[in-house]
Amino acid sequence: MKAVFLDGIVLGLQMGLLGVGLTLIYGLGGVLNLSHGQFAVLGAIVMARVLQHGASLWMAVPLGLLAAAAVAVLSDLTIMQPVYRLRGEARVLLGLLLMLGVGTIIDGYLEWKYPIEALNIRISGDPISIIGVPMRVGSLVASAIALAAGAALFVFLRYTTFGRATRSIIEDEEGARLCGINPALVRTLIFGLSGALAGLVAVSRAMTSPVISTAGVELTILALIVAVVGGLGSVSGAFVAGVLLGIVNTVSAFYIGTYITTIVLLAAAALTIVFRPAGILGRRA
Amino acid sequence: MSGISTQSTSASRALELFGAYSPIALTAALLALVPLRYSDSRTMMTVIIIGMVFAAYTIAFNIILGSTGQLFLCTGALAGIGGFTSAILTSKHGWPFIPSIVLGTLLASAIGGLLSWVAVRRSLDAIFTGVVTLAFSLSYENLVLGRKDLTGGENGLRVKAAADTILTTRVAPYYVFLGLVVVYLVLYRLIERSHVGWAFRSLRDDEVAAELSGVNVTRYRVYAGLIGSAMLGLAGALFAHNREFIAPTTFAFGAVDVRVLVMLVFGGIGSMLGPVIGAVALTIVDEALVDFAQLRIMLYGIVIVVLFLGFRRGVVPSVAALRERLTHLGRRSTPAAVKPPGSTPRS
Repeated sequence: MKAVFLDGIVLGLQMGLLGVGLTLIYGLGGVLNLSHGQFAVLGAIVMARVLQHGASLWMAVPLGLLAAAAVAVLSDLTIMQPVYRLRGEARVLLGLLLMLGVGTIIDGYLEWKYPIEALNIRISGDPISIIGVPMRVGSLVASAIALAAGAALFVFLRYTTFGRATRSIIEDEEGARLCGINPALVRTLIFGLSGALAGLVAVSRAMTSPVISTAGVELTILALIVAVVGGLGSVSGAFVAGVLLGIVNTVSAFYIGTYITTIVLLAAAALTIVFRPAGILGRRA
Repeated sequence: MSGISTQSTSASRALELFGAYSPIALTAALLALVPLRYSDSRTMMTVIIIGMVFAAYTIAFNIILGSTGQLFLCTGALAGIGGFTSAILTSKHGWPFIPSIVLGTLLASAIGGLLSWVAVRRSLDAIFTGVVTLAFSLSYENLVLGRKDLTGGENGLRVKAAADTILTTRVAPYYVFLGLVVVYLVLYRLIERSHVGWAFRSLRDDEVAAELSGVNVTRYRVYAGLIGSAMLGLAGALFAHNREFIAPTTFAFGAVDVRVLVMLVFGGIGSMLGPVIGAVALTIVDEALVDFAQLRIMLYGIVIVVLFLGFRRGVVPSVAALRERLTHLGRRSTPAAVKPPGSTPRS
């Protein structure tokens, strides 16, 4: 039971990291990025290809993160521009559909070029005992990455000027503009950051299980569920929701079966929408 | 005096009915001719049968997205619920053919209605509908892959209940599915012309105004979810029996949802014949690009982006509107799209 719980936390931190990237973009631009998971997989495949050419992990990971960030920035600068000119529900709907198109393009490309490619990162070392449960080093490093990224994001949003600007746009875009903040610039940079975070999810996931080239849709859906349960736009909410859902996921997989886990997650998202639409940490219920 | 006026109203009523339903009859007549050319080839018959099945899916999706603005990203999963339910009941539990299809249809309908109910009760519903239905798509897929004892997992499931019926012959199934499409189109028109259609239009144009004038927005959205999902389940169940074999890929997200979305947007969201036009056009394009099958998904993605950036009301209505503008033929009358994402409501 303790082992299942710890595995749940390891998975949950990954899910939190996945949800954070999605929630940031939604908070800023009102765009629900339906290709978030595909960005992650794209980064993973770039890393896998670079690793196959004999490069080290220190070379492959930055290139993978850069690739994911580049595609994200490119989407923001091109097809997202007409979206930002709209308001309200029209913006949400168009943004969502266009990103669905982008995700489908990435999916189709990967399926065509690299149908059986996968990123697998092995961290060697003896299992380390945590409260009496031997944990694989890969899982621990993956969790450390997620925690470090979460902490860095927290510091960035709270204590840097740029981070404060970002939060002010999430609160009120018009108000931020009046204070001299350029929402378009911040949005582009946060899109890039979100892409890099997606790539980072691929890295940390690959340490526990292979990231295959067809995993995009599934990762996107997991990110969506985490973001909705955590409250769209809430960074800390996404991490809390990620860890909770990770534990729920592993426990239900252990006691019922893997096939049931997405149904449990769907139920969690549905219950959140019905009872706490602003998320588990949300103030307006 | 009164006699004359009744006569003229009944005449104008007949004319109106003719105007409302003749496009369906004309479409049906044209589509009925297609097998004349292809009846020799089993391969081509399969292609056009699948085209008809997708036309049926797209009409159903149009009732959900086009009429009430709910972005259901689980058309494949709902059709799959119908297909797998019927297939499992007939092949594993010895149910007869028709009751199994009825149960599959009802189950799909109930799930679709429930998803609608969960998502539309809050603001931000475009997002919540998308999230809940996508999550349902994934749940369905994992369930099909996970319950190997029932569904055969990745190996698929053989469906033999319709082996001796016309559903598994070469040409007749085309007419079965054409019949289904015609029934769906008539249903679409009937709804459009009823009080439900009035409610749909009002909540689609302006949700707040509809709510304020006494339209129960939640209830009508759930109606659309129930009806559209039942149509998807029924088409999926019939398709399963026609194919005699179903696998997770038969109703997969990439295989169904993306295509249905492209077909609907191409033909024109919220127009009656749009789904049929989109299905026919995409079937032709797919056939022309059959040698580039692996590129197909990428192409669909590009088409989605281009369509939503350039032709938010659908290619067919946009081209029609353009032609009308060029020739100055009367007032512009583009079929209204579902909250065309491009037009911000004037307020």
